[in-house]
Amino acid sequence: MKSFLLTAAGLALATALSVGGALAQTQGGTLVQITQPEPPNLAPYVSTSGPIAQVTSKVFDGLLEYNFDLEPQPSLAESWEVSADGLTITFNLRDDVVFHDGTPLTSEDVRFTIMDVLREAHPRGIATFRNVIAVETPDRHTAIFRLDAPAPYLMMALNSAESPILPAHIYAEGDIRAHGNANEPIGSGPFVFTEWRRGEFVRLDRNDNYWRDGQPYLDRIVVRFIADASTRTAVLEQGEAHVAGFGAVPYQDVRRLEALDTIEVTTRGYEMISPIVEMIFNTQEPPFDNQMVRQAVNYAIDRQFVIDNVWFGYGVPASGPISSNFEPSGLFGRGIDFSVPDRIDIANRLLDEAGFPRGADGIRFEITHDVTPYGEEWQRFGEITVQNLAEIGIRATLRYEDLPTWLARTYTDYDFQLTSNFLFNQADPVIGVHRGIHSDRILPGTVFVNGSRWSSPETDALMDAATVATNAATRQQAYQALVPLVTEASPVAYVLELRYPTVHSTQFADVITSPIGIYGNYAFAHQR
Amino acid sequence: MKNASIGSYILRRLLQTIPVILGVVVVNFLLLQLAPGDLATVIAGEAGGATPEYIAELRARFGQDQPLFVQLLNYMGNLLTFDLGYSFRQSAPVLDLLLDRLGPTLLLMGTTLVVSLSLGILLGLLAALWVKTWKDHLISVTAVLLYATPLFWVGLMLVLVFAVKLDWFPTSGMENVVAFHEGWDRVWDIAHHLILPTVTLSVFYLALYARLMRASMLEQRGLDYVTTARAKGLTDAQITRRHVFRNALLPVVTMAGVQTGSLLGGSVVVEAVFAWPGLGQLAYQSLFARDYNLLLGIFFLSAILVVVVNLVVDIIYVILDPRIRLG
Repeated sequence: MKSFLLTAAGLALATALSVGGALAQTQGGTLVQITQPEPPNLAPYVSTSGPIAQVTSKVFDGLLEYNFDLEPQPSLAESWEVSADGLTITFNLRDDVVFHDGTPLTSEDVRFTIMDVLREAHPRGIATFRNVIAVETPDRHTAIFRLDAPAPYLMMALNSAESPILPAHIYAEGDIRAHGNANEPIGSGPFVFTEWRRGEFVRLDRNDNYWRDGQPYLDRIVVRFIADASTRTAVLEQGEAHVAGFGAVPYQDVRRLEALDTIEVTTRGYEMISPIVEMIFNTQEPPFDNQMVRQAVNYAIDRQFVIDNVWFGYGVPASGPISSNFEPSGLFGRGIDFSVPDRIDIANRLLDEAGFPRGADGIRFEITHDVTPYGEEWQRFGEITVQNLAEIGIRATLRYEDLPTWLARTYTDYDFQLTSNFLFNQADPVIGVHRGIHSDRILPGTVFVNGSRWSSPETDALMDAATVATNAATRQQAYQALVPLVTEASPVAYVLELRYPTVHSTQFADVITSPIGIYGNYAFAHQR
Repeated sequence: MKNASIGSYILRRLLQTIPVILGVVVVNFLLLQLAPGDLATVIAGEAGGATPEYIAELRARFGQDQPLFVQLLNYMGNLLTFDLGYSFRQSAPVLDLLLDRLGPTLLLMGTTLVVSLSLGILLGLLAALWVKTWKDHLISVTAVLLYATPLFWVGLMLVLVFAVKLDWFPTSGMENVVAFHEGWDRVWDIAHHLILPTVTLSVFYLALYARLMRASMLEQRGLDYVTTARAKGLTDAQITRRHVFRNALLPVVTMAGVQTGSLLGGSVVVEAVFAWPGLGQLAYQSLFARDYNLLLGIFFLSAILVVVVNLVVDIIYVILDPRIRLG
């Protein structure tokens, strides 16, 4: 794979040039970010709670970064090479990187982070790096991953939010799961951790020894935690904070803030996260053990109405479990179109055929619909679902519980009929999509896996093929075959691809520069 | 002599609180077990698809694989040495987390107590003096309105009017996190941030105390001792100041003591609206994360707080009314 190496070198050159051109940026300024909720700790290597990486991605570096087309870009690794059989990945590390305590980065830090931390204790890393049997360190600036089976998705999971590289001399001391630096991170990123006052803010100051010369431009980042949604809006409106993403601002308020001269709204920066709003059926119990009933519900949902009225236009109808963000990388597949004009007639016919005739009162059967406990928009979505289902003669009652109760109901006790949910596609379908539909992910007590408990040998085989294929075209074919089969069986109704709005102040530029948005490192952010 | 008796009284009361607080801990511990879901599922939930090995390992680390009574005994044992345990979710000892948050909460509660008590007593007193005039009606109607208004709504309206529209006060937080003031500038900055939350939290209690004070004043004024005092030739002003006022204060002070618990509850809402870094927000977060170690620690601390405040109230009683005996 010589061409891979050449491309990487070319990209490194392009980045170097753009950095040179950007040197004229104004130095200084404090950027205030709102993160909601407050992170439980600052240990992204053992916890994947979303808010953590919104803070720590500025403190740590990853081996790679990614552009908006989801192509790997150099970061700590200035070049890399994947062998033809996919079993060896060689990373050439920069030789000018020092951690915040002054110690230089070496290949040993990479080995320690991958083998001793992420592969052992990171909730997703355990799966991502499962096939990595060793990381060899022939010299201080070369790290060679040895795999026992190809893992093409691994190359997509190496940014600083997902796989931060830790200084071994600090984090190797003691138990990594309860480490003394869990709330005082030390990395090599553009900003140095200074203080965390709980309930208030985390303060990060400029790293004067950052390996990108002249960067970062900002003096300081302060991440504030504000529990009340209306207050968050007021703070942004007043210019007391400058950036917020991931639904931190209520959708109806985003439309209002967008009209202000001082505020910009972008939906970029979620291409590697790709959230899909879905509804999961309990396929092991009547009435949703019947494929025709599940399809009928799929047809009944008025996707465009939900997008316009619940998520205020920040979404597009989903066409299957895989987000259209994967179209550029060729991993996208299109399933049955449930938004056809005569969808209600089709749904009614399906229910008649399935043996659920309308009673004297027009009702075919009654169900309980569980609402995802993630905030008000999910309640609105539930209410619309009740109306949509009423059109085809299903009477639904809403049930709203707190997060731990709902998780236990959906993934441990399977004591539900129909529930709304999120599916984050993450950086690759192997990481984000397979878990919802593969038979080996029917795991009672494990959350956000296959809660519908549906699977088929045919779809399992397609996913297994896509997991190990080193050839992009092979993976593409597998997913194009997979998605129609999944939507036909409809264990899950994929409703919409959410396009989260990120709200930011016009005082600052180049804040959102990558497909991970506010999980980026803000090295390029500067005052206007 | 009197000092010695107060001293032994306080000691006796403190000893009595020990079983109360232990009871609070045991009941809370058992109650929390009734809530479905646990910390391991919440942490794993945030991972978006963790492996079963990971969840089992979490449970073992949290001690959740032990039988319930063993967990309880362990917890009580640690408590005796003031070891409140470790919050696995927040990766920090519970005691550190609590002490970080105690200051802001005490500041907010203290100012609220002072503002609501002094203004409430003053307004109640005035309403009683002006009874059945338009001024009395104005105070009473305003008090009922304030009493009936939800806290979070008052908070949001104050933010909209005084922070967003008029720009007199900051919207939220405890200090300016761009400037990071030091010394007296910082004290001033915190005081500036404290005003809106204090007003919000005070409004309800102010109304409560004003209404109580008014009723209590009116009741006392009709009692026999007032007639006696008047027969002795004291003026109305003297009677009000020396006799009625002091006696009328007793129910208000009692109520203030009883309300400390609910003041803590009310501060959850106010802290959320104003992003005030107190115990209330911490309690809210830890409940939804099923972070029981932390939650039990908060309950423990709150119980101590309530017991101490009530003890102080009892001592104030003695000062207000020497007839009340210690015992």
